[in-house]
Amino acid sequence: MIAAIATLLLCQLLGEGIHLLSGLPLPGAVIGMFLLLGWLLLRPGERPTLVQVSAWLTAHLSVMFVPAAVGLIEEGPVLARNGVAIVVATLVSTLLTMVVTALVFRWALARQERGA
Amino acid sequence: MSGIWPTLQTTPLLWLAVTLLVFEGADRLSKRSNRHPLCHPVLLATPVLIAILLATRTPYPVYARNTAMLGFLLGPATVGLAVPLWRNRALVRRAAGPLLLALFAGSLTAIASVTGIVWAFGGSAQILATVAPRSVTTPVAMALAQQLGGIPALAAVVVLIAGVFGAMIATPLLDALRMRDYRVRGFAAGVAAHGFGTARAFQVDELGGTFAGIGMALNAAMTALLLTLWAVL
Repeated sequence: MIAAIATLLLCQLLGEGIHLLSGLPLPGAVIGMFLLLGWLLLRPGERPTLVQVSAWLTAHLSVMFVPAAVGLIEEGPVLARNGVAIVVATLVSTLLTMVVTALVFRWALARQERGA
Repeated sequence: MSGIWPTLQTTPLLWLAVTLLVFEGADRLSKRSNRHPLCHPVLLATPVLIAILLATRTPYPVYARNTAMLGFLLGPATVGLAVPLWRNRALVRRAAGPLLLALFAGSLTAIASVTGIVWAFGGSAQILATVAPRSVTTPVAMALAQQLGGIPALAAVVVLIAGVFGAMIATPLLDALRMRDYRVRGFAAGVAAHGFGTARAFQVDELGGTFAGIGMALNAAMTALLLTLWAVL
């Protein structure tokens, strides 16, 4: 358990270090995700505890960003000015993304199967 | 009461307890609604907590400081997204080419469409940076918005709206497009609507849910890379 938590934190720490040293806007945690994936792929073996801990974290993401969402309390003026644009853009963009992803994936899978 | 309040008001103990209690209540309502996207616990809990802060005249920075522990967990949770990708590596490998092509197209569509529309409405650079990561899972979206000069709190809400809407339209939309392959259906839901799309996909089909999870994790990485590239150029 502790080893799994330490693994996640170490990857994030290394990611944060790379982020700060490189000056890239890529968040440290995302770099940490790549590092963990690379490490898992390079070192075969089952990791039941790591699977368990990360599944627990993913299952409880919602409560972790509640404090951030409450931060909207300070964004009244921004919302009044841009609220409509943001909502319209978000809805249209979600629909378009789903359509494009599905169409491209289906087309590319069909092509792959015809080629095989 | 007036004696102990000033002390309690600036403790993590009070605000973590309040936040978890409100969230748990919201979560029970959400369960009772059979997990309807519109009854998402964050959607229910956030206005209640805002009302509590207003009623108690608690400045947001005080609340934020004393609930920072919850937000801290978003980091390791993001790192942990690598684990389902690793576990499903055989599935990913088998469809790798089409998967990556669809991922690239979907990620680009998400960024271009949301920023394009906000820009057409006359949104500022700050708002563009806030909405650009809208199709990725919340922790990554907030971190990206922060890095690009956007507003993380607003990014979290934008991601929430995308998730709620995506989970609601997924089944009728994918039916209308005559998508029959559950890999395609799930993946599209995960790329477009992150965790909400993934939860919805798992309600319908196991393989679809797995591919939605793969789509969510891969899109977090792809969007981060594309936006980094955009910021650097």
